[in-house]
Amino acid sequence: MAIDMKVPSVGESVTEVTIAAWVKKDGDFVKMDEVICELESDKATFELPAEADGILRIIGKEGDTLKIGAAICSIEPQNAASSEKSEPLPLEVKPAVVSEPVAAAEGQKVEVLEIKVPTVGESITEVTIANWLKKSGDTVGLDEIICELESDKATFELPSPFAGTLTIIAHEGSVVAIGGALASVTVGGAVVTPSATSVVETTASAPAATAGTYAEGHPSPAAAKVMAEKGLTANQVSGSGVGGRITKEDAQKASSAPAASAPVATTTPKVAETAAKEERGSRREKMSSLRKTIARRLVAVKNETAMLTTFNEVDMKPIMDLRKQYKDKFKDTHGVGLGFMSFFTKACSIALQDFPVVNAFIDGDEVVYNDFTDISIAVSAPRGLVVPVIRNAEKMSFAQIESEVVRLALKARDNKLTLDEMTGGTFTITNGGIFGSMLSTPIINAPQSAILGMHNIVERPVAINGAVEIRPIMYVALSYDHRTIDGKDSVGFLVRVKQLLEDPMRMLLQV
Amino acid sequence: MQYDVVVIGSGPGGYVAAIRCSQLGFKTALIEKYNAMGGTCLNVGCIPSKALLDSSEHFYNAVHHFEEHGITTGKVKADLSKMIERKSGVVKKMNDGITYLMKKNKIDVKNGFGSFVDKNTVKIAKEDGSEEQITGKNIIIATGSKPTILPFMNYDKTRIITSTEALKLQELPKHLVVIGAGVIGAELGSVYARLGSKVTFVEFADGMIPTMDKTMGKELQKSIKKLGAEFYFNTKVSLIENLGKEVKITAEDKQGKKVEILGDYCLVSIGRRPYVDNLNLEAVGVTTERGKVLVDEHTLQTNVPNIYAIGDVVRGAMLAHKAEEEGVFVAEIIAGQKPHINYNLIPGVVYTWPEVAAVGKTEEELKAAGIAYKSGSFPFKALGRATASGDVDGLVKVLADKNTDEILGVHIIGARAADMIGEAVTAMEFRASAEDISRISHAHPTYLEAMKEACLAATENRAIHS
Repeated sequence: MAIDMKVPSVGESVTEVTIAAWVKKDGDFVKMDEVICELESDKATFELPAEADGILRIIGKEGDTLKIGAAICSIEPQNAASSEKSEPLPLEVKPAVVSEPVAAAEGQKVEVLEIKVPTVGESITEVTIANWLKKSGDTVGLDEIICELESDKATFELPSPFAGTLTIIAHEGSVVAIGGALASVTVGGAVVTPSATSVVETTASAPAATAGTYAEGHPSPAAAKVMAEKGLTANQVSGSGVGGRITKEDAQKASSAPAASAPVATTTPKVAETAAKEERGSRREKMSSLRKTIARRLVAVKNETAMLTTFNEVDMKPIMDLRKQYKDKFKDTHGVGLGFMSFFTKACSIALQDFPVVNAFIDGDEVVYNDFTDISIAVSAPRGLVVPVIRNAEKMSFAQIESEVVRLALKARDNKLTLDEMTGGTFTITNGGIFGSMLSTPIINAPQSAILGMHNIVERPVAINGAVEIRPIMYVALSYDHRTIDGKDSVGFLVRVKQLLEDPMRMLLQV
Repeated sequence: MQYDVVVIGSGPGGYVAAIRCSQLGFKTALIEKYNAMGGTCLNVGCIPSKALLDSSEHFYNAVHHFEEHGITTGKVKADLSKMIERKSGVVKKMNDGITYLMKKNKIDVKNGFGSFVDKNTVKIAKEDGSEEQITGKNIIIATGSKPTILPFMNYDKTRIITSTEALKLQELPKHLVVIGAGVIGAELGSVYARLGSKVTFVEFADGMIPTMDKTMGKELQKSIKKLGAEFYFNTKVSLIENLGKEVKITAEDKQGKKVEILGDYCLVSIGRRPYVDNLNLEAVGVTTERGKVLVDEHTLQTNVPNIYAIGDVVRGAMLAHKAEEEGVFVAEIIAGQKPHINYNLIPGVVYTWPEVAAVGKTEEELKAAGIAYKSGSFPFKALGRATASGDVDGLVKVLADKNTDEILGVHIIGARAADMIGEAVTAMEFRASAEDISRISHAHPTYLEAMKEACLAATENRAIHS
């Protein structure tokens, strides 16, 4: 009953295409003509629209090269509330392919079909089940309203996409992610009419047949190792083995997809064939998965937080004087140079303890406050930006911080940072100054709530006690999540950091 | 000399770790205090005991079963010293095999007693009194275990012995008293029972091989009883004395009644303890708990990050194949890989005859955990292969999840159980269901058909041949 979509013919001489990106995910509800995927041929990139409404089942993975006519995905008919958001009215959209389940019913075949939470709006990831209008075991007709769902934007009613006997999976009050299972409907036999009563018996043995098996996503021992090393979890790899098990090949393919398509990427694009004759180079490079992750996260933070930035300036003279005075002695004693990072890390750590909300993060409906300060340091590594974490900075001495920075930076340079070393920070410091930045607005390192941006140190004329003096000045920026951090706290935090840096003695005396 | 990895101990954990390290391109040294490679497993454990088990099995068959096969022999005699000699030959062959593997993998073997100087330096005290120090970026402790002996047992290596001495006795005991009816006691006790010794087991728990599924212990006891062995369960030994030509065991039964047993040899097999004596762990601050080296579950690192520990010195079952897995695991961890060991699926094997082998959960564990399960059994006596060879003792028991049919435990007692368990381990690594195995073709006639039948029994109680 699903519609198989094939790679369409895209041009006379084009025999194969590469899947550049899936715009929609497996299991997403897609509407007819909605773009679901971007394809690349050696001549051009084009978008693939869905051929019907329904649930997308991806066959070809990103990076796969497919022949024209090869199956790329299938679309399972599925009813859903429409994707229009923020209309607090009952919404109803009839799926395009509703006749199929009915046909199945007529065919005396017993089938169990799942009802999933439809996509209801762009930024909505989950819904709450407000009310079940039908009970498990009830017979429901096609398009009969079976339950009411609530998102944070709207309430809407869910019509049954199938006729049959209802089995409720998610109960009232529970929160279900988009695409999550709400209920199943046993379709078949004489069940179509709501009057049938003998249906209940058929449900007993049928569910096991179509429900996902317990072993789905279970990796073989070799696959488990490959996945661990690539940092993949079971839900990032689709298992092709019996019952959805993940084979070694599945794991290898999942991780090596970008590399496999490299040859395709290096062929020179022939876009300019009809254009001017002189060489005008451009090239396409596959985004690494790290790059893609960075991209996705940064956009997510911009979309999902109320981020804004506050600025201040720091007179760096006291720190520079201090460094000049004790640089050599510090190095002799501790075996590590005295840089600016220890001052900034320490100052932030103290300020974070003074303003705990800056050190907190949002988890669902709660705010998690940390009584430790684990400071992430943004480091530019060969593969891209990485953020190793200095743990318990509040307990560390300047020398400990400096040597930890050196250790992590070296590991970052050699791509040897472990996942553990990069996860779990409570606040981030990034230094755009090393590249010469005067002022910038950094993006929060989610799920943290704030990030401090350091910048270059420039000698600027400033007024000191009524006279103009030339001082080394650094602008500092604090981007923060206004959802939890009020202006008082963010500005107060940054001012506190400024005070500590301009008078390092305060760090010693903790005043 | 500066090495990437220094391994202390050449048992199945240590030498396998060394080979894997070498394969991964590390410059590796292996320290062994004895002149023979292979550790307990190869010298005084798995290999020699299996050599004797097979000899005793041949003898027993010659006396008891040849006739039914139509083979007439004269008076059959067991020459224990010759059996021991053959066993030594087997061990020697395996020793040489490891020495060859070390050469092939360019691993530097250092003979002598290794102990820590600092976290990167190991001192090797050699037989000739000289000392050498080598350094390693990483050090793997693989020093194994020794039999546990309690003071009142008066271990004297002559009449009151452990498994080590039991593998080289000069005479056949008339009456061997075995303290502890666990794996080692059951194996060695059954060797001597088959050679004609009277064997008495004294066990603190309420049955044989008490850590395994209860059905296995019961079935094994039935088989060993046929050899004329006696059993004292729920009995606590309080004193063992060597009276010159006899040994006296004083014990107490569950009711507190005193029990006295006289024999000419007493084998103490109450367990093994991690062996880190004189390793000088204090010098590097590696922490231990009751002798066990404490390690990180995810990396097998000790609290000193460049020092790892594997095998019998760390938590978990004291099994050669578990140590081997950990040896490979640590080598790959050092190389920055992310290997994984599924400790639930390390099979346990008892080399008695019939053999006992198991993997996964026991029925008692499933009950205690409140997991809904179903059970399917199949007896060997209904198998064509078993009947043909006359090895009809035993059964296969499969425990599967009541709802999903996933296999949760497999317990086998019978001929070749140790080889048969492999199928169960493989299936469970892939989380197979009982019905999966039922639907896989099994060659006929083989012992493994019992596995398929037991799975059929577990699936819908539809074994074909019972």
